Amino acid sequence: MSVVFFLRDSIAVAENEFRQFRRNRSAILISLIILPFFFTASLGAGQGGAGTTFSATADIPIMFVDNDNSLASLRLLQTLTSSADFHSLIQSYNEQTAVAALGTKRTYAVIVVPKGFQNDLAIGRQARVILYTDDSEPGVSDQIESTLSTYVQNFNPNLEVQTFLTALQKQSISQVEIVRKGAIFAGFNVGLTIVLAVVQIFAGFYEIAGGMSREREEGTYARLLLTPIPIGSIVLGKTIFDLLLSVVRTFIVLGLSVYGYGARPNTDIVTLLALSLLVALVTMGLGFVASALKMGQRAVVIVEFFLILFLFAFSGLIIDKELLVGVSQVIANLLPFTYAFDALRRTVLLGRSLLSLTGDLQYMIGSCIVFYATAFILLLKSRERLIR
Amino acid sequence: MIRFIHHTSAITVKELKQLRRDPVSLVLTIMFPILLIGIFIVIASAFSAPSHNVAVVVVDLDESPASKAILDKMTTSRFIHVTRFVQTEEQAYQAVNNAQAVGAVIIPRGFGDDLASGHAFIVVQTDNSKLTSSAFVVSAVNQGASSVLTEIRLGETGASLGAKLASVEVITRPISGRPPSGDTILPGFLGMIAILGAFDDIVNAISRERERGTFPRLSLSPVSLFAVYTGKMFATVVLTVLRTALMLVIFTLDGIVIRGNLLLIFLTTILIAVFTLSLGLAISARIRGSATLTVLEIAMTFPLFMLAGTMNSPLLLAPGGRAIAASLPWTYGNDALRRIIYLGTGLNIVAADLLILFVSSLVLMPVALILSKRTM
Repeated sequence: MSVVFFLRDSIAVAENEFRQFRRNRSAILISLIILPFFFTASLGAGQGGAGTTFSATADIPIMFVDNDNSLASLRLLQTLTSSADFHSLIQSYNEQTAVAALGTKRTYAVIVVPKGFQNDLAIGRQARVILYTDDSEPGVSDQIESTLSTYVQNFNPNLEVQTFLTALQKQSISQVEIVRKGAIFAGFNVGLTIVLAVVQIFAGFYEIAGGMSREREEGTYARLLLTPIPIGSIVLGKTIFDLLLSVVRTFIVLGLSVYGYGARPNTDIVTLLALSLLVALVTMGLGFVASALKMGQRAVVIVEFFLILFLFAFSGLIIDKELLVGVSQVIANLLPFTYAFDALRRTVLLGRSLLSLTGDLQYMIGSCIVFYATAFILLLKSRERLIR
Repeated sequence: MIRFIHHTSAITVKELKQLRRDPVSLVLTIMFPILLIGIFIVIASAFSAPSHNVAVVVVDLDESPASKAILDKMTTSRFIHVTRFVQTEEQAYQAVNNAQAVGAVIIPRGFGDDLASGHAFIVVQTDNSKLTSSAFVVSAVNQGASSVLTEIRLGETGASLGAKLASVEVITRPISGRPPSGDTILPGFLGMIAILGAFDDIVNAISRERERGTFPRLSLSPVSLFAVYTGKMFATVVLTVLRTALMLVIFTLDGIVIRGNLLLIFLTTILIAVFTLSLGLAISARIRGSATLTVLEIAMTFPLFMLAGTMNSPLLLAPGGRAIAASLPWTYGNDALRRIIYLGTGLNIVAADLLILFVSSLVLMPVALILSKRTM
């Protein structure tokens, strides 16, 4: 009977949360529209859809200066202009003028074929191509250099039509080809694992910790704790409310990714939903702990901002945790979100089943239990203080 | 006019006084730059660490002098850590699939002979769900092979391996003259600080005032609404100058040589902040709670890292992303900051960028004022 009462109370709390949510247009806007739509659409805009390919260097204006004026240099120019990677190659006849144009946004690199290029190749000596770059554009210099290298390293001056370079060959150095095995993933699919988790973390933390602090600021927190409803029911009710919102958010992100941007997650919807909700649960647990620490709404938002930045640095979002050093790696190993991102990558990209991720799942479930237990104890103490 | 200036300065002083009395906001104003730079340091230190322990398993099916030479180079690589030598390709793939290693390097039978005939290959199986680590594995293998080939070129091992060589080398000369490093993103971070800071200022200036109930009182005082907003804007300008100065000090401590005119840097960050403030004012007319507004602003900020050229140049985005980047005035601000700081570019080059920011603010500010007035 007590279980029935417990569940009834939990559902009552969840209903109350939904009613409040429905009345708050800003909360609906942020939770169900801005976070899932905005994050996914930004990813799609930045990376292109999962099925689309584009060359990052194709539309960058680059100048080509031929100081050799030989058949070999002409063939190099032909090779580059007929490739899919250099659509905006502008021929220039003066090296100095071309280099002076760098930094003015008219051109971002200058390829110079020096005198003696053909001669060097003819006698079997290593020839050189000089690349001047506008390195104030982050990433552009490296991108142009690596793309150009793939063409010149495989360049044969004796061929009018150069051998077609496959994506694998493009990553190889001239005499030793590096054949990469292992699936290569579209940037959008990789980003999807991040967006899915970040949306849940962002929204979940704000809804739980922010919701509790709002109750505190509005004066309903004390009343809620002093009702005959057990603390467990309050926590469970709020968790049910946020879990349902998390389900909606997961479907919005996945729907937009799959139907809008052509993403093809390598796993089934149940696995994705389970992982997404587990991430949400861990975040909610953390949110309850934060809310038990008597934070104001503004403080919650600030903590949330720092949390997300912290995750960017330490949970393998930008750099794999294997590459972090010293204390950074210890922090990464302690963060449950590191395991969440790892699990999402392994399922969405590699198609692993949930059962093969026992290590990640154990850590996440363990963290969830620790967070919820801590929050329960803190809320219980808070209630005792209020009674006294 | 004198009265307007007097009122504006009074509001500016009031805003700064309020900030001084609010420790959370004050800490946040200082913490934004420090935290962002802290993250950059973590990321940069990971990439520039003297060694990495990316686990790799190796299969040498050739066992020739050439394959041994390449494996020697790989085992001494600072990027990877060869954890195991296995006997078969299957064992190697299994190690990657079971997450025991990030990569497997397989040197096929006949590698030495192929190298002698001018074209050999190595198979690298990587766990590409680990983006940076798998790139490190490929890079290490490339470096190993490249270094063996260089030795051949220099005649150190060429005779024993009998490889043929002739290739074209790309020599890169960046116009800034700086060594290539991760700090190209720091000017973009300065832009983000200006954006985040201005967003936070608007929360303090409008939403919190509304929540405290002091905003109607302020608007009913004999000070014109224009003077109120101008005063709040000047407070943001003062804070932006302080944040920019703090960031520039951090840049200098980090060893970055600031080549451009300092005043131009301050002008750019101020214009970024004023545009952000205008947008914040427009949004705050609809979304009134300070916490909600802060969440919204933070949620909007994260995609800007990618779309406004903070981390990477917008030139490298997908076509759709490039169009969005081109329509965001912040992109021009970040671009101008990079050019001024790294290339020492003058006003003549960045004038167009600054003009876009200025005009955007000029268009948005009256809209924000009208929206704000309507909701009073």
